[in-house]
Amino acid sequence: MAFPHRPDAPELPDFSMLKRLARDQLIYLLEQLPGKKDLFIEADLMSPLDRIANVSILKQHEVDKLYKVESKPAVSSSEQLCFLVRPRIKNMRYIANLVNADKLAGRTRKYKVIFSPQKFYACEMVLEEEGIYGDVSCDEWAFSLLPLDVDLLSMELPEFFRDYFLEGDQRWINTVAQALHLLSTLYGPFPNCYGIGRCAKMSYELWRKLEDEEDGETKGRRPEIGHIFLLDRDMDFVTALCSQVVYEGLVDDTFRIKCGSVDFGPEVTSSDKSLKVLLNAEDKNGRALLLCCRYTGEAGRYKLQFCVRRRGMDIKQMKNFVSQELKGLKQEHRLLSLHIGACESIMKKKTKQDFQELIKTEHALLEGFNIRESTSYIEEHIDRQVSPIESLRLMCLLSITENGLIPKDYRSLKTQYLQSYGPEHLLTFSNLRRAGLLTEQAPGDTLTAVESKVSKLVTDKAAGKITDAFSSLAKRSNFRAISKKLNLIPRVDGEYDLKVPRDMAYVFSGAYVPLSCRIIEQVLERRSWQGLDEVVRLLNCSELAFTDMTKEDKASSESLRLILVVFLGGCTFSEISALRFLGREKGYRFIFLTTAVTNSARLMEAMSEVKA
Amino acid sequence: MDWDLKEELRDCLVAAAPYGGPIALLRNPWRKEKAASVRPVLEIYSASGMPLASLLWKSGPVVSLGWSAEEELLCVQEDGVVLVYGLHGDFRRHFSMGNEVLQNRVLDARIFHTEFGSGVAILTGAHRFTLSANVGDLKLRRMPEVPGLQSAPSCWTTLCQDRVAHILLAVGPDLYLLDHAACSSVTPPGLAPGVSSFLQMAVSFTYRHLALFTDTGYIWMGTASLKEKLCEFNCNIRAPPKQMVWCSRPRSKERAVVVAWERRLMVVGDAPESIQFVLDEDSYLVPELDGVRIFSRSTHEFLHEVPVASEEIFKIASMAPGALLLEAQKEYEKESQKADEYLREIQELGQLTQAVQQCIEAAGHEHRPDMQKSLLRAASFGKCFLDRFPPDSFVRMCQDLRVLNAVRDYHIGIPLTYSQYKQLTIQVLLDRLVLRRLYPLAIQICEYLRLPEVQGVSRILAHWACYKVQQKDVSDEDVARAINQKLGDTPGVSYSDIAARAYGCGRTELAIKLLEYEPRSGEQVPLLLKMKRSKLALSKAIESGDTDLVFTVLLHLKNELNRGDFFMTLRNQPMALSLYRQRIEGRVAALQTAADAFYKAKNEFAAKATEDQMRLLRLQRRLEDELGGRFLDLSLHDTVTTLILGGHNKRAEQLARDFRIPDKRLWWLKLTALADLEDWEELEKFSKSKKSPIGYLPFVEICMKQHNKYEAKKYTSRVGPEQKVKALLLVGDVAQAADVAIEHRNEAELSLVLSHCTGATDGATADKIQRARAQAQKK
Repeated sequence: MAFPHRPDAPELPDFSMLKRLARDQLIYLLEQLPGKKDLFIEADLMSPLDRIANVSILKQHEVDKLYKVESKPAVSSSEQLCFLVRPRIKNMRYIANLVNADKLAGRTRKYKVIFSPQKFYACEMVLEEEGIYGDVSCDEWAFSLLPLDVDLLSMELPEFFRDYFLEGDQRWINTVAQALHLLSTLYGPFPNCYGIGRCAKMSYELWRKLEDEEDGETKGRRPEIGHIFLLDRDMDFVTALCSQVVYEGLVDDTFRIKCGSVDFGPEVTSSDKSLKVLLNAEDKNGRALLLCCRYTGEAGRYKLQFCVRRRGMDIKQMKNFVSQELKGLKQEHRLLSLHIGACESIMKKKTKQDFQELIKTEHALLEGFNIRESTSYIEEHIDRQVSPIESLRLMCLLSITENGLIPKDYRSLKTQYLQSYGPEHLLTFSNLRRAGLLTEQAPGDTLTAVESKVSKLVTDKAAGKITDAFSSLAKRSNFRAISKKLNLIPRVDGEYDLKVPRDMAYVFSGAYVPLSCRIIEQVLERRSWQGLDEVVRLLNCSELAFTDMTKEDKASSESLRLILVVFLGGCTFSEISALRFLGREKGYRFIFLTTAVTNSARLMEAMSEVKA
Repeated sequence: MDWDLKEELRDCLVAAAPYGGPIALLRNPWRKEKAASVRPVLEIYSASGMPLASLLWKSGPVVSLGWSAEEELLCVQEDGVVLVYGLHGDFRRHFSMGNEVLQNRVLDARIFHTEFGSGVAILTGAHRFTLSANVGDLKLRRMPEVPGLQSAPSCWTTLCQDRVAHILLAVGPDLYLLDHAACSSVTPPGLAPGVSSFLQMAVSFTYRHLALFTDTGYIWMGTASLKEKLCEFNCNIRAPPKQMVWCSRPRSKERAVVVAWERRLMVVGDAPESIQFVLDEDSYLVPELDGVRIFSRSTHEFLHEVPVASEEIFKIASMAPGALLLEAQKEYEKESQKADEYLREIQELGQLTQAVQQCIEAAGHEHRPDMQKSLLRAASFGKCFLDRFPPDSFVRMCQDLRVLNAVRDYHIGIPLTYSQYKQLTIQVLLDRLVLRRLYPLAIQICEYLRLPEVQGVSRILAHWACYKVQQKDVSDEDVARAINQKLGDTPGVSYSDIAARAYGCGRTELAIKLLEYEPRSGEQVPLLLKMKRSKLALSKAIESGDTDLVFTVLLHLKNELNRGDFFMTLRNQPMALSLYRQRIEGRVAALQTAADAFYKAKNEFAAKATEDQMRLLRLQRRLEDELGGRFLDLSLHDTVTTLILGGHNKRAEQLARDFRIPDKRLWWLKLTALADLEDWEELEKFSKSKKSPIGYLPFVEICMKQHNKYEAKKYTSRVGPEQKVKALLLVGDVAQAADVAIEHRNEAELSLVLSHCTGATDGATADKIQRARAQAQKK
């Protein structure tokens, strides 16, 4: 990130070891099938694999041709086939079809299935059902941690969110525990553990069990990472649902960052091709290159700003800077101009009035004023068919901040939505309800009953006002209470100068401190959940918040300032930026472990039943 | 021979098909360098010399002629193009043997037969070989180069071993074997020394044996694999023979080669002596499975090894059981007691069964009916004295001989021997008769042999009908009636096949008439669709009552016609329409179930939503029916938008009322749709229809999105005061915006305008605002 760390910031552990480990294991597995072989890779695993081992490494180990596991059958002439897949039923059927087709043709080949990160019994069952269990050999490639940045580890399991939070499928928890176990064997035990959420608790307990089974060496090691914090995504949906305004978040929202790299289309590269650019702190080459581009709110007008070596420049100056001072540094020049292109393209999209309105509405929702206005904004948004995902996101945001929608709004918004985007979305709403993203306030509330009676008596406009009045009377939403308790909405006195951020709210242009980050900050400050009982209660997690401290203090002060944050269900770039900022302020360094990097659109798509 | 040849055979390119096949002659070939202006004539005769076809050759110079296994004439031209003609001189198709051949011209070509079909091998001017093992499935293979080959090989032939075609060629004293990978030098084992070149080589009919004729007049005979020598012979004639052909019978131990010079024919075998014949005329040899056909201008003869059975019976002073039986029968007819003596003699030796079998077999090899009769009579006579002699071999032989005698008839002209006939099978023989358009004979044979109708009579009738259809001079009515009269309801005849043929000939009307006779709609309909008679197909499909068939037609129609025509067609066919509806009804039914379930679960909202969806689906279907275009699966919003875009404003409003679309949505929707249509007039009318529930700022916005500043300005005046500044800024009227903002004394608006002030043009405005601000602060 842009800002250099405090001189006393602790060194990060070397995570490239994880890459080496994964690579060596993969090579070992490939070598178990000596001779030439064709490798079938699942599409989702392609980019992670690319980060671990490129094609030339695969070729060195006698991988002849690479195929994508997809719906259409592949024509491979090799005598040995190797499949590298996620443990999914769909993939098993694909393999079974291929093997059975060979059998029909009287062809015998060698097949090897490598499951990543682990194999599931259900998959083996499918192989058995299809009658090919004896024909294939199965292996596991325990590749669960991909370092995307110096401080960011991703498990690259985007399906974790839907599987756990919607379907209630707990199979990935074991994978998380395994990953934690791997980290603790490599970097020493974690003396202080905190967590909140059901999944966090289960993962933690499972991991503890793994540790106990395999005690011995790890116990004696000096811990390198002093704290670990596990957090469920459903503790804080709000942050994930907000529009992101930090640079990486913007790029992610606009272009979709995939596995740490982003495909810039022709409109950015200003040529015909699209380009793939790695987006992390590693490629800085020691120079402070492009670091941060942010939005500043200035009298309602958003201006894109670049900070290069902490100097504020506008785009024109930046171009000058690039063409003159960076002459000779072609590579960086190219990268930089790409990023500028990206910024310009984002600017084009975001400086439209629509976006300002959107941000304004979001902030209003977060702060909890003008609810009626926001609701009608959302209605208009739906009426104009702006975007199904965006509309859904706003509705969810409204529901969560208001602790569920008023039945009347719930119905009318849903009806409007179905009219605009098609009746199939009825199922999407059911999913959202199950996941607690879009709910209805409990009916039978005496107040609503009274309200409906009163509103019948007056005109439409007056009814709206009455509703507002009643809702303020009603039980305040949990989010609102938490927000007040934790001071999530910073008091705005004067203008928020984004060039000199004061608190974590800068990631949302000073309007809102991410809840997840605030919880982490508070717990770390107190070294426990003490004093946060009220918040925990409001989060409905009285049973599910835990601390576990080891008394013996072997940990160095250095390591105590290293914190591993585990996001179960994905984290956003905004949260990462916020915690990085917090680290700088407090002299900590955060390491992020997430099941996948996510954003609001991904969350909504995971819930959507209408496949694009 | 029936033919009336004007020229000598030697002046012609000659090709005769095996199995008593036709003979093709191409007169005046180019190699004679005669008057080039005279176009040569290609003539095709039956084996008995009956003219089948004669056509003026109009294409390029022909190097070689040959018959394929399907009795198609292949004419290899000098430029490597192979023209394929039918038996009656009808042009079928042509193909090329590749560029290399085209460039280097064809020096020599052979047509050969393998188990895959007929192949063509070509020797090009560059002394390279190109061959295709099957002309039906053309795959050209260029053979490897022969090292050091400067001139054309003295002789060459194609071999077929292990299902792969090879080429054997002789260059001087050396022999080379070419397969598609390599060229290898080979030496026949036990070849006499002193050979300086090979003049002629011959491969047997089955590719099993090979004979080589050298310049010393020496003949080597051995297996085609060149691994084993069978025998050799020295004929002391050094002149190169005109033709050399194997003459042997399958499964016979005797090997013999027939060598032909201008006036001499020599049969050489595993014996120190040879048999020589004198040829009176220019003759041509045709290798056959069990012998050699020799034809000349006046005669057509068959030379073959005498079969064992015939030899046993007719050998002078033969005491073989068959001979005795024949004698006995003769005596019996003379009513002489000697008959009994002969019979006894055979019976004492216990060889009566063998005798009968010999007689039957020998009868098969006889060509003259009286000889056949006497032999069969003898067999039948002997049979009487046997207890359990299975009669089928006798009966079958009688039948076969009748068939053979019929086809051997002078007018038919297929001189098949018994063994050839057995090899060829009756099916192929029937096909060949059909090919010669000898339908009556073919049908008689079928009836006589009591072949199942599907294989026999009806197949032939179908062929006849297909031929009949091609007679363009007869009217459609007559042809259709004639065909129906002949065919009637014969099982196994597919009228649709005949109709397809008629359609192929461009006689669509005839095809439709013929299809009327087709009882199976499943066959009728696809062809009608192919002929683009979709409406007829639809009514046929509906008549059939087969819904699947109706769907086939419907889907086809839907792709083919535009929507309007499609529904017009459907309107006249209520059954099709209802079927088409059913497809949607299926979905509605599923949704109804869902709605019921929702009601049970007390989820009234979802139940209502589902009911709305059903309503929408039905409505969309009606819209598709009435207006055309795609409506199914659109959301309500999109449906209304589509309606407005299509100009159906009334319907759009009706729909909005039916589904109780809120006013705000409707306004947004209409606004966007009309702007998309760029129907500014209608938009203005709409804006004035009543007070906008969404204000007028959106009008300005949308107009600006379509880059229509002029229209946008129209609406700015109507925008409410609180949004006026925004609207003015949108249309780019900064100065007026500033005025309004100053008037409002609104700080936020002022700074908004200020931020829009760019460059020098707005300098004055900016100043004005600054001044107003200062004033406001003073106050």
